[in-house]
Amino acid sequence: MLESLLALGGLVLLRDSVEWEGRSLLKALIKKSALCGEQVHILGCEVSEEEFREGFDSNINSRLVYHDLFRDPLNWSETGETLPGGPLEALRALCRRTDPGPVTIALDSLSWLLLHLPCTTLCQTLHTLSHQDSCHGDSSPGEQVHVLGLLHEELHGPGPLGVLSSLAQTEVTLSGAMGQASAHILYRRPQQRLTHQMDPTTHLTFNLRLSKKEREAKDSLTLPFQFSSEKQQALLCPGLGQATSHIFYEPDAYDDLDQEDPDDDLDV
Amino acid sequence: MAAAASCSTSTRSTGSVVVAASRNSVTSFQRRGPRASGTDSGCSRLVSIAGTRPSVRNGQLLVSTGLPALDQLLGGGLAVGTVLLIEEDKYNIYSPLLFKYFLAEGIVTGHTLLVASAKEDPADILQELPAPLLDDNCKKECDEDICNHKTESNIKMKIAWRYQLLPKMEARPVSSSRFGHYYDVSKRIPQELIEASKWHGFFLPEKISSTLNLEPCSLNHGYIKLLQFIQNIIYEEGFDGSNPQKKQKNILRIGIQNLGSPLWGDDICWTENCDSNHSLTKFLYMLRGLLRSSLSACIITVPTHLIQNKAIIARVTNLSDTVVGLESFIGSEKETNPLYKDYHGLIHIRQIPQLNNLIYDVSDVKDLAFKLKRKLFTIEKPRCCYNLQNRTRLCGLIRV
Repeated sequence: MLESLLALGGLVLLRDSVEWEGRSLLKALIKKSALCGEQVHILGCEVSEEEFREGFDSNINSRLVYHDLFRDPLNWSETGETLPGGPLEALRALCRRTDPGPVTIALDSLSWLLLHLPCTTLCQTLHTLSHQDSCHGDSSPGEQVHVLGLLHEELHGPGPLGVLSSLAQTEVTLSGAMGQASAHILYRRPQQRLTHQMDPTTHLTFNLRLSKKEREAKDSLTLPFQFSSEKQQALLCPGLGQATSHIFYEPDAYDDLDQEDPDDDLDV
Repeated sequence: MAAAASCSTSTRSTGSVVVAASRNSVTSFQRRGPRASGTDSGCSRLVSIAGTRPSVRNGQLLVSTGLPALDQLLGGGLAVGTVLLIEEDKYNIYSPLLFKYFLAEGIVTGHTLLVASAKEDPADILQELPAPLLDDNCKKECDEDICNHKTESNIKMKIAWRYQLLPKMEARPVSSSRFGHYYDVSKRIPQELIEASKWHGFFLPEKISSTLNLEPCSLNHGYIKLLQFIQNIIYEEGFDGSNPQKKQKNILRIGIQNLGSPLWGDDICWTENCDSNHSLTKFLYMLRGLLRSSLSACIITVPTHLIQNKAIIARVTNLSDTVVGLESFIGSEKETNPLYKDYHGLIHIRQIPQLNNLIYDVSDVKDLAFKLKRKLFTIEKPRCCYNLQNRTRLCGLIRV
């Protein structure tokens, strides 16, 4: 299931609620991406760094790049650890990132960002972030950007939820019954783009190509209706003596050929 | 045999006379010479621009929306100078298709295009347009054998030598003067057609720098930039008649995607009461003013299912001329309804404009369904199982 969630690039929206929390799913996706060798950036806003890194073993922990907005979001202590400009600047810095290769950006959580940033700016930044691959020219599907956003459903009205759903390529809603968690996944596949046409004659078990000798033999073969060039010319361009066939028709008394009444006048 | 033949011919001749008489009494339409198709007729009183035709009801100049079925439902086509608003379906699957049909029709008829979007680059949108089904389309793909034989046009054909003297099919992009074309959705439009066409693109993230130093004003900055862009194009290319040296008049087709979504910087999908409640309505009002004074037609898609304030939806509908709503069955309870099992959604014609008219044509077919087949997008009245019931009733009668 985790592979299918990460198969499409773009924004993956994880909607959770109080009963069914989604941070463990977010961490599982981060772990999967890190094990695949992708770069992972985490924007942590809701829980402390130690709490987030809990549960990851050391090799994964060393791959994660953590941007901490929990400890000092407004930069009051002025130690220079946090980026000036707050969360928006942190997101924009991620947009301007120019390292090649696939990358996963985890936003923990989108709800916190929604409450602190103007909504349209957040949407536009998310859109730029998740469509970074198109900015860097044609990229193969392996070079995608995955943006994982954790959203707490109960904190927002239908408006923000609807808008973020329409922006997301994949949406996972966590729910459950009787102690069993379940996930409802919605994929929005964009229209398939024809990247390049595969040559169908490769990888065949039979030979479709002609060697030089075979080609010569084929060219020298005379076909049944392939006349000599004189006869061809004679048939193509009829000379003075031959007339093209004509039909001479004289309508008799019983024929009614009305030239001004074509058939598409019929009221059928 | 002769008598019967004469009898039949005499009835036929009287029949044709009767038909001609009735026709003369109903219409004053006189056929003069060969049937005029599209705008080639010399008896047309209006300016003959490729891809347009006058409406039979009020003489308004119409352009095709790209879907002949939709043209018929809208009363012949979309009037030049008006706005076609498409209310998007919930998962935005079918409304981009109508958008692309409109743009593809513009390319095939040689109109100038203006594509505006905040989500996708207009160049990418143009690459994804459907391929037209033209009658004299020539195939570009040739296998290597034919390539070896036919390098010039006067090379002798080996097997098909009888066709040697026939004129070669022209490979240039065909501009068609017909009204309304059919498209194959499974294929992309050929690159030559896009390159031969004239288009302008407006991609919002490129036009607006993402700084927060913009004072809030009554109209959204994205909308202001878009209006200025449209106005510039209309003025520079003479669509409003301001450039008298223009020799050939043409239509400007404007397409704006996802208007009102937060990617354009608009708040209306977010909350019910927001500061920029009137941005979209002001934009539509100004856009319609620009369109009415120029030779252009516009298609806009709006995600009305996301707009929280119903009053705004009503205002947007009133400010547009033609409004078509799409409702897809995905995820709704109508998916399991046996009446709709062959179809993908419903299409609602919510509004048709009254242009230079006291009455307007209200279609008597209220419920229409659409279906996206592999190659074609069709609109039809959903066939109900009435026929099946009728048949069983008839069997019952015969048994008695």
